[in-house]
Amino acid sequence: MAETIALSNVTKEYGTAVKTKALRGVSFRVEGKEFLSIIGQSGSGKSTLLNMLGLLDRPTEGKVSLLGTDIGALGKKDRAAFRNRHLGFVFQFHHLLPEFSVRENLLIPTWIGSRAGSIRESAQTRRRAEEILSFLGVGEVADKSAEQLSGGQKQRVAIGRALMNSPDIILADEPTGNLDSENSALVYELFRRIHRESGTTFVIVTHDRAIAQQADRIIEIRDGVVSQDVRNDYLTGASA
Amino acid sequence: MLELRIARRFLWRSKVQSILIILGIAVGIAVQVFVGSLITSLQDSLVKDTVGSSPQVALEPPATETAFSFTTEDRESVGADPRITAIAPVQSFSALVSADGKSVPVIVKGAALADLDSIYKISARLVDGNVSLTGSRVVAGKDLVEQNGLSLGDQVRLVLADGTGVEALLEGVFDLGAQAANEQFVFSGSELAGAALNRPADQVSAVELQIDDVFASPQVAADLATAFPGLTISEWQTKNADLLTALQSQSTSSYMIQVFVIIAVMLGIASTLAISAVQKTRQIGILKALGMSDTRTGLVFLYQAGILGVIGTALGIAASLGLIAVFSLVAKSGGSGLFPIEPKLGFILVSAGIGIAIALISAVIPYRRTARLDPIQVIQSG
Ligand SMILES: Nc1ncnc2c1ncn2[C@@H]1O[C@H](COP(=O)(O)OP(=O)(O)O)[C@@H](O)[C@H]1O
Ligand SMILES: [Mg+2]
Repeated sequence: MAETIALSNVTKEYGTAVKTKALRGVSFRVEGKEFLSIIGQSGSGKSTLLNMLGLLDRPTEGKVSLLGTDIGALGKKDRAAFRNRHLGFVFQFHHLLPEFSVRENLLIPTWIGSRAGSIRESAQTRRRAEEILSFLGVGEVADKSAEQLSGGQKQRVAIGRALMNSPDIILADEPTGNLDSENSALVYELFRRIHRESGTTFVIVTHDRAIAQQADRIIEIRDGVVSQDVRNDYLTGASA
Repeated sequence: MLELRIARRFLWRSKVQSILIILGIAVGIAVQVFVGSLITSLQDSLVKDTVGSSPQVALEPPATETAFSFTTEDRESVGADPRITAIAPVQSFSALVSADGKSVPVIVKGAALADLDSIYKISARLVDGNVSLTGSRVVAGKDLVEQNGLSLGDQVRLVLADGTGVEALLEGVFDLGAQAANEQFVFSGSELAGAALNRPADQVSAVELQIDDVFASPQVAADLATAFPGLTISEWQTKNADLLTALQSQSTSSYMIQVFVIIAVMLGIASTLAISAVQKTRQIGILKALGMSDTRTGLVFLYQAGILGVIGTALGIAASLGLIAVFSLVAKSGGSGLFPIEPKLGFILVSAGIGIAIALISAVIPYRRTARLDPIQVIQSG
């Protein structure tokens, strides 16, 4: 089976006159369905790396493969379609659309992915949305506008939106950066449950070492290079 | 359609903004339709007053002659032209009428009553007496009758330039709505005019014509000149150059008004949509991150423009039709000096097309801005 994620020697430069090297040769692979954390200080290049994985940005050099597909070979439209079909995003900010209800926010990825942009989803899709919402504990606010929810609820709805198209990989950039510790804990608990139940690969960017410790694998980025790539059981197992 | 649904939600979310821009388009289109219809109707009414009840094209004898032969076959061949709506072969001559001790110059036009009616509508414009034009009976203009103390049943003598004369009986008085005609014109039957001119029946002084589109008169005249090479063809436009210049400059100013209104509407929609595109940057960015293509997100603003354009234009046309109805009601109630406005379907459809088209054109900037937006620019900020 193809690797879920394979990065080889990925570099990213920003700017034309004054160049910032955000990534300087990052390589790693994820086989199977992992739950991994990317950790590093602010400005170390975590978001840049995640944007490469999310097909939102292209590397200056190097190769990115997801699910056996060489991403560099895809055109803009195909990258958009790939994102819709295979990736789920959770950002630091929920980015729910205030013009739509909670339920509709969940359905948006399905609408985008349906051929001819149809906005008639199947009964099965609607049932899936309901299931996800109640799984995330926001079933009772499905008809509300996203604006009427609390911060924790909003982020849970955003997670639901990421789950909607049954993605192979969920990419989360500081997903709990705006949440209190209680809601943060809830979000990680949900991530772990989703990983356990659906086997989705998780790549979670954080600068919080305590949070990163809950992952199975931790990749640490320092100044645009991988400075550490460890299995969590190795970390804990070593001390036990 | 997802783009359409998003467009509707975006507009609904900014209700006040949407309503204002719809009103802006509506006012613009209403002004454009109203002014356009007003000017067109004004011109129609001016042209109708000027040439509606007079010949617009006439066949006349060559310069050296005073009459020419116009046979039944000639009449049939002229009548076969669908553009020609009225044909009146007339005998006409200048004469003096002695009345009240004065001699008053008149122009006598003799023809079959039906033919005269087809051009001058005498029967409909009779204000006193009758009109039969049989034998020596004639009808005269209201001013001619009033200024010279004539009355119905009077026997008058028409004296021609060569000193010969005919007796005529005044049976009716008409009002053609133009002073010159009311002071000068006397209509008779062919019999009286033929006798006065001492001419055979198939010889006529002129054949007066009316046509369906008065502005086509040069073309009709040119075609008639080919068909009747020996004759002189006159048409109204060469004699009314001043009026035509006035109409032309009126049209130009009307177009100017319409163009500026359209520009104002376009700027209004463009700025509103540009603002909307900025306001919705975050939403567009996230939709792109979720896999919506650049084209489809750009389409959202095209749909917004389309919705605004269609609703605004529809309201604008409804408002202009309302204005036109009120204006025409006032005009018809009389005394105001106004004339009724005829809304023209073709013009309204063109205006509607323009309204929607400018809305869509105005969406080009937000469309391109949206298509170019990189989701990375928005997803990392709140
Ligand atoms: N769009 C950009 N243009 C220029 N420099 C950028 C851009 N995005 C990130 N950088 C720079 O790249 C480096 C890595 O940034 P980032 O990946 O956001 O770090 P992190 O997410 O770990 O905080 C930083 O020095 C940052 O200033
Ligand atoms: Mg970051």
